[in-house]
Amino acid sequence: MMVKSFSGGVYLPHYKHLTEAKPIERLPLPLELIIPLKQHTGAPCEALVAVGDRVKAGQKIGESRSPVSAPVHSPLNGIVKEIVTRQSVTGEMVECVVIACDSEQEMAVYPAEDVSSLSAQEIKDRIREAGVVGMGGAAFPTYMKLSPPKHVDTLIINGCECEPFLTCDHRLMLERVSDIIVGARLIAKVLGVSKIVFAVETNKQDALDLLNEKIRDEEGMEAVPLDIKYPQGSEKQLIYAVSQRVIPTGKLPYDVGVVVQNVATAAAVKDAVVHRRPLMERVVTLTGSGVKNPGNYLVPVGTTLRHVVEAAGGLNDNAVKIIVGGPMTGRAQSGLDVPLIKGSGGILAFDEDFLTEQDYLACVRCGKCVEHCPMLLYPNYIGQYAELGRYEMAENWGAKDCFECGACVYVCPSSRPIVNFVRQTKAAAAKRHRESTRQPI
Amino acid sequence: MEAEKFIATSSPHLHSSDNVPRAMRDVIISLIPVSLVAMYFFRLNAIFITLVCIGTAMLTEVLFRRIMRKKPSLQDGSAALTGLFVALCFSAGTSWWLAAMATFIAIGLAKEWTGGLGWNRFNPALFGRVSVILLAPWVGFLNNEFFYWRVNFAGVDTISQATPMSLLQMGLPMPNMGTMFFAYPGGGLAETSAFALLLGAGYLLYKKHITWHIPVSILGTVFIGSVVLGQHPVYHLISGGLLLGAFYMATDWVTSPITQKGKIVFGISIGILVLIFRIVLAPTEGVAFAILIMNAFVPLIDRATRRLKFGEAAMVKTNSGLAVTGKSAQNAH
Repeated sequence: MMVKSFSGGVYLPHYKHLTEAKPIERLPLPLELIIPLKQHTGAPCEALVAVGDRVKAGQKIGESRSPVSAPVHSPLNGIVKEIVTRQSVTGEMVECVVIACDSEQEMAVYPAEDVSSLSAQEIKDRIREAGVVGMGGAAFPTYMKLSPPKHVDTLIINGCECEPFLTCDHRLMLERVSDIIVGARLIAKVLGVSKIVFAVETNKQDALDLLNEKIRDEEGMEAVPLDIKYPQGSEKQLIYAVSQRVIPTGKLPYDVGVVVQNVATAAAVKDAVVHRRPLMERVVTLTGSGVKNPGNYLVPVGTTLRHVVEAAGGLNDNAVKIIVGGPMTGRAQSGLDVPLIKGSGGILAFDEDFLTEQDYLACVRCGKCVEHCPMLLYPNYIGQYAELGRYEMAENWGAKDCFECGACVYVCPSSRPIVNFVRQTKAAAAKRHRESTRQPI
Repeated sequence: MEAEKFIATSSPHLHSSDNVPRAMRDVIISLIPVSLVAMYFFRLNAIFITLVCIGTAMLTEVLFRRIMRKKPSLQDGSAALTGLFVALCFSAGTSWWLAAMATFIAIGLAKEWTGGLGWNRFNPALFGRVSVILLAPWVGFLNNEFFYWRVNFAGVDTISQATPMSLLQMGLPMPNMGTMFFAYPGGGLAETSAFALLLGAGYLLYKKHITWHIPVSILGTVFIGSVVLGQHPVYHLISGGLLLGAFYMATDWVTSPITQKGKIVFGISIGILVLIFRIVLAPTEGVAFAILIMNAFVPLIDRATRRLKFGEAAMVKTNSGLAVTGKSAQNAH
């Protein structure tokens, strides 16, 4: 069967065999949590608790009045030890609530409710209240995405998981398929769409088979197999692969009648609406050549990398690089004392052999970046102009449309850091914009 | 474990195994078959001229990079490859001095002086080859006779044989096509075997260092053009420097267009120029001139064939009031 895909992109070795057969496991709970008050795209939350307060599992500890934000909850029982500003896994400095957790934890129970009579607004309120954000990485508040200003006709549930190494979404599809389907139904109800598409790359055939079996008798649901090509899970490429609709430059998925939600988000929506259970833990794939026991682990939000790594058996002595997220877009961390957040799908540890950093050479115009760019840009020119400090020319060749998937850097025989050049160009454009709009005093 | 500090470089953290030295090495590997055929026919003469060119190329690069205060870059393999290319453009009877001068110009002027690998506008090997042709009548020391220390290894009498290209142009009977395709000693070292060149080209295509666009559009144009002009198309394809030019010289990453569309425009233009040079003008190095001329047009071709970004065409459509898709048009109502 012909599998669908998009133009450009690159076939990556996906290294998923390390963990794809490892069922989701709960790790021993940590004794301390560092819970960032901003784990999403949008405004940071303000702390609702003070040092010395006792917090209960599921209690809301941070909230913002801004419309673009998501509340934060404590996953465990404990006492607020301090409120400090620290670096997050995203690199931002954010305020964090540090909780000394009780050594004996009583897990809260969230019984299922009958939600068939809930209105769209009530469902959305529960999603917002539970702090659900997109769990594929960008962590955009989910209720915001469920309020499109235009009518949409298709909901795509994204189970591509196109980043190499990561298997958390794959395992979730195998182990919580019914929850994902219930979550998708709830989201579809809010949006008023009749068509739900589960999009899965064909390297997860077991998940596709299971989905097909479960949705056989469901109305308006379809599981679409997609090519194992990076970045298949990126919204614009995914929407094109599934529906052949092209999002115009500068527009959003709803402009072509589509909303995309990640499979883990769908499961979190089910928890939030049916059980009124806040989003306060997630599945993380711990893997890579520097890890002793690769696996998929269920961890409370706010758990440090150190706790996850040590509870899972530790790192190999030769581990030299730690990445949160996938190897293509994830962020390298200088230390282990940073907490995981709602959008962190993976912790990767690599040894020396896996390092590829080297001096880069001049562009040799091989054209591979142009061939593989999923946005059909000219990464070669963006890189060359940005390198010379000619950022306006770099923008002219499409730097602002780049979503930094890294396919160009992956294929570049000169190892040019094109994604860095793009970031420099965007920063220069932002600076220029600030300067041009600054009011005279 | 307390004092650990991990490497914090920016994403992406995966790289393919592709790199410039590996690509250069693969191109050199792909040229082994034709080099062996040349060495079979011309023995020590071929080996000697090849070594002279590769040696000159590497020395020139070291010299120029030292003068320009740049890091040495011999390890990327591009100098050795350019040297080999220059050698393959010459016939085995060429004076070693002329070949060395061509290599010096290729690396020194065409490559390093214009900024080094990646910044040169003209294919260095062809630039060197053509420069000595053009300069020889004017510059005494480039002349074959200038340098008296001639090196000639005895026992090879095929060197002075007429090239198939000149036979073709003079309308004389051609050697048997099968012989010419597999191995025939006439012309430059790379002209000894079309089969060996195609073998190497196949390897480069398989390794994805080159794509079909440039060679197919050059060869296709020459094929169709020679049929139209009433000449034998297959002899045109397999004689002279056409195969070497189409698969190796015109596909040079640095000096060819960046997009597929641009590559096709580039290839067709080269094909037309080759036909003009071969049929209308003097019978010498038409392919080299054609490629060098089109090298100069690469920036223009790149601009003219610039593609739209993903979503750009749709943006233009929406801005002009048209709907993106039929479906979303219905939804809007």
